[in-house]
Amino acid sequence: MKKFSENNSLISRIKSIRQNVVNKKSKDYNIALDKPVSHWIKEDRLLNEIGKEFTIILRTRGCSWALGDSGGCSMCGYITDSNIKPVKSEDIIRQFDFAVEQKINEIKSSQENFILKIFNSGSFFDDEEITEQVRNHIYEVIKSIDKIKEVVVESRVEFIDLTKLKKMKEILDDKYIEIAIGLETVDDYIRNNYINKGLLYDDFLKAVDLCKKLRLGIRVYLLFKAPFLNEQAAIDDCINSVNKLIKLQVDTISINPINIQRGSFLEYLWYQKRYRPPWFYSLIKALKKVLLNKKKTVPIRIISDPSGAGTKRGIHNCLKKECNENMLSLLRKFVLTQDVNELVKEVPECECKLQYKLKKIYL
Amino acid sequence: MDLFFDLKRKKIGYSRIGRIYLSSKVKTYFSTPNLVIPMKNTLISDFNFLEFFENHEIFFITKEIFLKIGFLREKFRNTSFIYSHDGTLAEYRKILDHNPHIFSQDNVCSIIPFNVPTTSVDKDFALQEIKNYIDHVRNILEAYPNSSFGINIKIFDHPELINLYPPLIKEKLNIKIINFADLFDTFKNFRSILKVIVKIKKELNNNIAIMASGRIIPKSYPLLVYLGIDLIDSSYMMYLSAENFYNTIEDLLPIYKLKALPCPCIVCSGKLSELFQEKYSNEKIMLLTLHNLISAKSYMNKIRQYLDTEDYRAFLEKSIHDDTLFYSSLKELDKNYFEDVKLETPISSRNTLIRSIGSISYFRPDFKIFRERVIRNFRPESWTKLILILPCSAKKPYSESKSHKYFYKAIRKFPEFPDFQEIVLTSPLGAIPRQLENVYPVNSYDIPVTGDWSYEELQISSQMLIEIIKKYDTSIPVICHLKKGGYSLIMDIAAKSLEHDIQFTNVDDNLTSREALKSLENTIRVNKDNYLSKSDSIPENHLRKTWIRKLIKIADYQYGLGSGNKLFVEGIKTKRNQTGTKIKIFNKKNNESIGRFDFRTGQIKLSINGAKKLLPFEENINYLIFDGEKIKGSNLFRPGVIDFSPNIMPESNVFVLNKTKQKIIAMGNAIIGSNNIKNTKKGIVAEIYEKI
Repeated sequence: MKKFSENNSLISRIKSIRQNVVNKKSKDYNIALDKPVSHWIKEDRLLNEIGKEFTIILRTRGCSWALGDSGGCSMCGYITDSNIKPVKSEDIIRQFDFAVEQKINEIKSSQENFILKIFNSGSFFDDEEITEQVRNHIYEVIKSIDKIKEVVVESRVEFIDLTKLKKMKEILDDKYIEIAIGLETVDDYIRNNYINKGLLYDDFLKAVDLCKKLRLGIRVYLLFKAPFLNEQAAIDDCINSVNKLIKLQVDTISINPINIQRGSFLEYLWYQKRYRPPWFYSLIKALKKVLLNKKKTVPIRIISDPSGAGTKRGIHNCLKKECNENMLSLLRKFVLTQDVNELVKEVPECECKLQYKLKKIYL
Repeated sequence: MDLFFDLKRKKIGYSRIGRIYLSSKVKTYFSTPNLVIPMKNTLISDFNFLEFFENHEIFFITKEIFLKIGFLREKFRNTSFIYSHDGTLAEYRKILDHNPHIFSQDNVCSIIPFNVPTTSVDKDFALQEIKNYIDHVRNILEAYPNSSFGINIKIFDHPELINLYPPLIKEKLNIKIINFADLFDTFKNFRSILKVIVKIKKELNNNIAIMASGRIIPKSYPLLVYLGIDLIDSSYMMYLSAENFYNTIEDLLPIYKLKALPCPCIVCSGKLSELFQEKYSNEKIMLLTLHNLISAKSYMNKIRQYLDTEDYRAFLEKSIHDDTLFYSSLKELDKNYFEDVKLETPISSRNTLIRSIGSISYFRPDFKIFRERVIRNFRPESWTKLILILPCSAKKPYSESKSHKYFYKAIRKFPEFPDFQEIVLTSPLGAIPRQLENVYPVNSYDIPVTGDWSYEELQISSQMLIEIIKKYDTSIPVICHLKKGGYSLIMDIAAKSLEHDIQFTNVDDNLTSREALKSLENTIRVNKDNYLSKSDSIPENHLRKTWIRKLIKIADYQYGLGSGNKLFVEGIKTKRNQTGTKIKIFNKKNNESIGRFDFRTGQIKLSINGAKKLLPFEENINYLIFDGEKIKGSNLFRPGVIDFSPNIMPESNVFVLNKTKQKIIAMGNAIIGSNNIKNTKKGIVAEIYEKI
């Protein structure tokens, strides 16, 4: 196996925490395998317009990286959504069809266009999670829904190959396809030593080349405030990553502020008060710094839809509802309009801004 | 920029007074120990901040923009700045590469950040991270070989990881500041803290300034200074203020607890006095921040004052009562690292009253050094026929006290009184032969006297008494003129280990009453001729005079056994100076100067002529070998010293020898001890008071 990280301490800690979760989980026989984990429709930014997202989260066996020898990523607890044991192709097809059936009328009757996001808390192109048969079924269903203009699937780079991409492109020829890759940061050291992602930037570049060759879109996930980073380091890392990805000309950058997921290594750090989820102030600051100084507008979609925002486990300032909502709406407006000026608009300043300034270097 | 730390005075423990020159070209410097004040946008927008800290010498900045703002540069022209970046090392490197003109300024030193990772998983993880940091640091230092830098030291609670840093620090000479970034976050691991400090002090170049940052609270400042920290970062005060803590020096109190503000600073006597009981507001937090920084700075000013002119150890002992962990730290340092601290501690202190408040004082290094030296270097006079044990007095030297003057009335009725060895019992210095009563710290200590002695005090004094009396023939009688209780208890404990005939005078409650003095006189009379000396050498009379007896023993104490005889055997003439602070000592036969005794330091300073009498040297002599034949100027600097004896303590008398070690070419006072000389490349080693 390729060696990504310099030390094994983090890996063995993650593994032991993961093992506990997996052991508990595999005793759970009551999971409905014919229904998806979740699915929803909500407002979202499409390539050139404001539209809606239709998201389906499929339940599969689970991420190969998390189930493998390396224990998976330090902040990830998605394995709790997975089945651990293999899920039959028929079941996954049923999950997908169930979600589509539920929402098809809403989609067809909507004024706006849709972006379909298929997530499986793992890799869409991993045959152990989703077989070729399932993928083809999904493609055919999507093909038949006109309103869906964009499709996003996510995968680790080791499962992305020319044949799979070609097949997808072939069937979904008239849709805009985006392949989402969890790069988390452009910094190899942070990615592999603090996140334990098991991914090198060079391998990411190879996948990007492949997509570009087939004229498939590339969506990159960035993690905001990786474990072991402080607020300013999170800002630095985000700015550095976004700038590099802009130069690389990817299509979408999705910035994901960390949320403390159950059963993750990060949760353990958080319980011990050795990690605090990022402040909204930091995220806004990073975005402003990247975008305000650019002379030309950036032809790249920058989005961020923080999960758990405003809660103890998610990105938050103080725990006042109003303060976090102000921040979130600022962020949402920017994401929908892609207009930097939305970020500099005045919001009522909360008292916690001073707290943030005074405490920042210790957070 | 060529920054370096220059030591001015070594003080007790690892504490030191110095200067940091940010540039060798421009002679601007700031003095240490000092507090580094954070300069932040939020702070400098407050007029009071700018006004109060206008003349502060050193600031911490985390934005390079401060160095570009015109008015700040103008206002703080003669001020020094420490710059570091709060975020990633990669970003810091970019800032550095883009602003070479700023970081080559004379008044800025930048510290290479080590913020990430914020915490560690285990020792292996920490080890890997430190190695990674060191690689990056090496890279930066090599890219900017002509700039000075500070580096961060993090140990993630694993004190043994400190060993990773010294090789880098020794290799890269442009490291001028080392900043302990996480060492002092909690004193719960005080053993680790001490391990790290002792290691660094033992190994590293003395010209490197040592800084402490992280979660540092003001009540720890005195201890940090004692541990040799030159710069203390006060940034944590901002965090504490945001958490509503009010700095009272002794502690940090939640501001809501305060009934009235105990501080007279501009903030507390001003707006904060109106606001402090109201509910949360940003204005209140800003004022609180300002008070906390001002009070921290005031405390540092006080520390600097006490370090410079007063008994710093007593100040420290008072302050460590603010936290049980500080107390434990000092106790541990005294107990387990005495041999290391010994060579760092001045042998004497000038003109200061030494307060010994409680049990923590018993093992302060200068006291322990004194006790060890007396036991090692004191040899009985050959003519002693009687030993007299007396209690100490509040006034120093003892012989000038009322009680001792009374004792003298009885003792000196006997013309053969020089045959009596007087020993004064005291706490916590132990048992002091009369001849050494003018030596530091006997000449200047003070203790609370209640008549109750603690177990430890009894042990210290009785052990020392045993060691001294054991040096005497067992048939020499011992007479104790002591009150019942503490003093006589010491004697009782000692008696168990001694074979001498021990007698007590008849005293009730008052040692100086007519009856008591009569009893003393009678007991002496009865016992003084009981001892029949086995040796038939009759001492020459000139050696039995009070001051020559003292000088011989002081010389033995300072320069080793036998030195006193070598120096003064031909007889002396003495002459006090007009103010009575010094005694000049001459050879009686040829009037040549031997040296002088200084009452303020309790030390003999030998002249070159005097020093020659000690040739050939005993092993305990302190010497420096000069790289040449003739010293110019009144200071001897490190580059001129090619070799030195291993046990030099600061403030001790040193002999300066020529290159071939054949000639004494000067006499001086050591500024730093052997360990520091070893680890120093620049700066002053000794002050020369006489040279050829």
